[in-house]
Amino acid sequence: MKLAGFLNLRGISGQIAALVVASIVAIHLIITATFLIHRPDQPDLSSGLRHSQVATIAQLLGATPAAGRSRLLADIAQAFPQLDLESLPPDAAAAAAAAAEETDNLDLHNLGRRLGSGYRIFSLADAKGDHKVGIALPDGAMISAKMPPDHRQPPFWGGPWMMTLLFAVISVTLLGLWAARALTAPLSSFARAAESFSLNGAAAPLPERGPEEIRSVARALNRMRERITALIDDRTRMLAAISHDLRTPITRMRLRSEFIEDGAHRERMLSDLDQMRSMLESVLSFLRNDRKLEPMTLADIASTLQLITDQFADMGHKVAYDGPGHAMATVRPDDLHRAVTNLVENAVRFGAEATIRLIPSPEQMTIEIEDDGPGISDSRKDVMLEPFVRGDDARNMDEASGFGLGLSIARSIVLAHGGELSLHDRQPHGLIVRIRMPLRQPSRQSAA
Amino acid sequence: MATSAPNILVVEDDRETRTLIAKYLRTNACHVTTATDGREMARAMIDHRVDLLILDVMLPGEDGLSLCRKVRAESQTPIIMLTARGEDVDRILGLEMGADDYLAKPFNPRELLARINAVLRRQAAAQTASATSGANVLGFLGWRIDLRLRELRNPAGARVAMTSAEFDLLRTFCERPGRVLSRDSLLDLTQGRSAGSFERSIDVLVSRIRRKIEPDPQDATMIKTVRSGGYMFTPTVDAVAPPTGG
Repeated sequence: MKLAGFLNLRGISGQIAALVVASIVAIHLIITATFLIHRPDQPDLSSGLRHSQVATIAQLLGATPAAGRSRLLADIAQAFPQLDLESLPPDAAAAAAAAAEETDNLDLHNLGRRLGSGYRIFSLADAKGDHKVGIALPDGAMISAKMPPDHRQPPFWGGPWMMTLLFAVISVTLLGLWAARALTAPLSSFARAAESFSLNGAAAPLPERGPEEIRSVARALNRMRERITALIDDRTRMLAAISHDLRTPITRMRLRSEFIEDGAHRERMLSDLDQMRSMLESVLSFLRNDRKLEPMTLADIASTLQLITDQFADMGHKVAYDGPGHAMATVRPDDLHRAVTNLVENAVRFGAEATIRLIPSPEQMTIEIEDDGPGISDSRKDVMLEPFVRGDDARNMDEASGFGLGLSIARSIVLAHGGELSLHDRQPHGLIVRIRMPLRQPSRQSAA
Repeated sequence: MATSAPNILVVEDDRETRTLIAKYLRTNACHVTTATDGREMARAMIDHRVDLLILDVMLPGEDGLSLCRKVRAESQTPIIMLTARGEDVDRILGLEMGADDYLAKPFNPRELLARINAVLRRQAAAQTASATSGANVLGFLGWRIDLRLRELRNPAGARVAMTSAEFDLLRTFCERPGRVLSRDSLLDLTQGRSAGSFERSIDVLVSRIRRKIEPDPQDATMIKTVRSGGYMFTPTVDAVAPPTGG
């Protein structure tokens, strides 16, 4: 990547090209190194010496007039018996020349180079299996000499074709591995990012790494994310502003209603205003979720639940508390109060009696809010947890009593505590909302 | 307690709301002056005695929070803040701003009246009360009651939830330990008779407080019932230095 950056090769195509060039250079360096170590062009010493002897003898014989040649040959053969020099008869020479093809053996080729033009070299098969060469002198006479077989091993990876194939395999494999990694790693991270995209802006933006094409996709996705977040934020702000601004007229109406002479009218007006107020509060508290979190503090959960029970009992509802008198846990007390209040509000709306039950255990705390209302069918249970879904869709809407945010606010508060909220059937009828929250060890004494 | 009609200064920028609050309070035996912003408020406070300040948080120019801090730096005039819900309640009631109480808009006018009476009564009582007067945090048997933040913490440091009425009653007990308090005087000291529907029988409130603080609610040792008299708070109450930091 550094090299790519240096060469300003930011695109996939540039990087592939660079890789190909790099592989070619690398493979040639390897081949050259092997070549230099083995030196197949340089014959080994003993065979080189034999070559030069044969070449010198052939030149000597070629330069000697034909009359004195046989005597000279006999003298040389006597001096170098290992060469097994022979003069071939002309007809045998012609036959051998006809039979033996001109060799492309590397050794003989080298020998031919030393002898120069005018000399022709043949490879002769010998009855004893010895390797013999035939050398035709410029005037047509022919001698044969024994040449030792070539003992040198051919290079391990064979000839140039093998090299090319090997090179292709290595470079294609490298290229494939690289391309697969470079292309799929960012793509699968895109997939993960898209899956985990949530509107609370908590997830980190996609890393803008890798080739230019991938980076531009990442940039585009990040920009899209920003736009979506900005859009949602705008909507949220607008909704919050509307809800906020409605407070002023509601405050005025609330004050003005105190001057209504007709008692029955005033009561109706007050209950309408209360309903508007609680709807506003639920919207604002729903919008506030995930934004401003109350700090965690140690609290007596039992006292909170008893307080809620008392508050509903004071309003004339039949709500009972079933649980220990005291139970400490580290929570966000006001949020928890709001969550349970929402659930009890639902419970007393749909049922005649409600029970708040606290079941503490060492690891977790279970709070159940139980009512004897009609309950929620299994198919609706998941939907009911969504915001703005009301349980009384099918009923008459005269008493629209909220935006349907109560349950989803309660759920998000519970989730923010690391707990879970689930809906269960009560026998014979009714609903149990169960909150399970992990108990945190009270680490601090005070959280002022 | 407050024998003559109290002078109340309402600082609120919305004209309708301001005049309606003034009208409502006047019909309930208060002298009311109004101001739209900090400058008018300062002028009104120079012109005549102000017994209690009702201060909106959202004001043009200098906002209610900083006005509250200024007033508190100079005088002990009780302040009730009008806020939007969830707006820095801790800061408003805490040492930083030092308001005596707050109400979230839209509020019930009767509750405003009840709070005004409660704050005025506390103010009057604090001037005659014992060693604990002026303290923000009181302690008894390891319990801590924070009068500014209006919260109660048990000896383990856990917050114990209370309604406003329960808190006011416990506070009244804590400010008068070791004295027999009749039901009538408790009612006077906490809610006032004008509170209307907020009135809870003192007995119910006492039993709810007992359930929260007594080791054995059936055999009460802290808030004792005095036959034919009323109730008495038995523990010794001390002023506690506010916890510094966290």
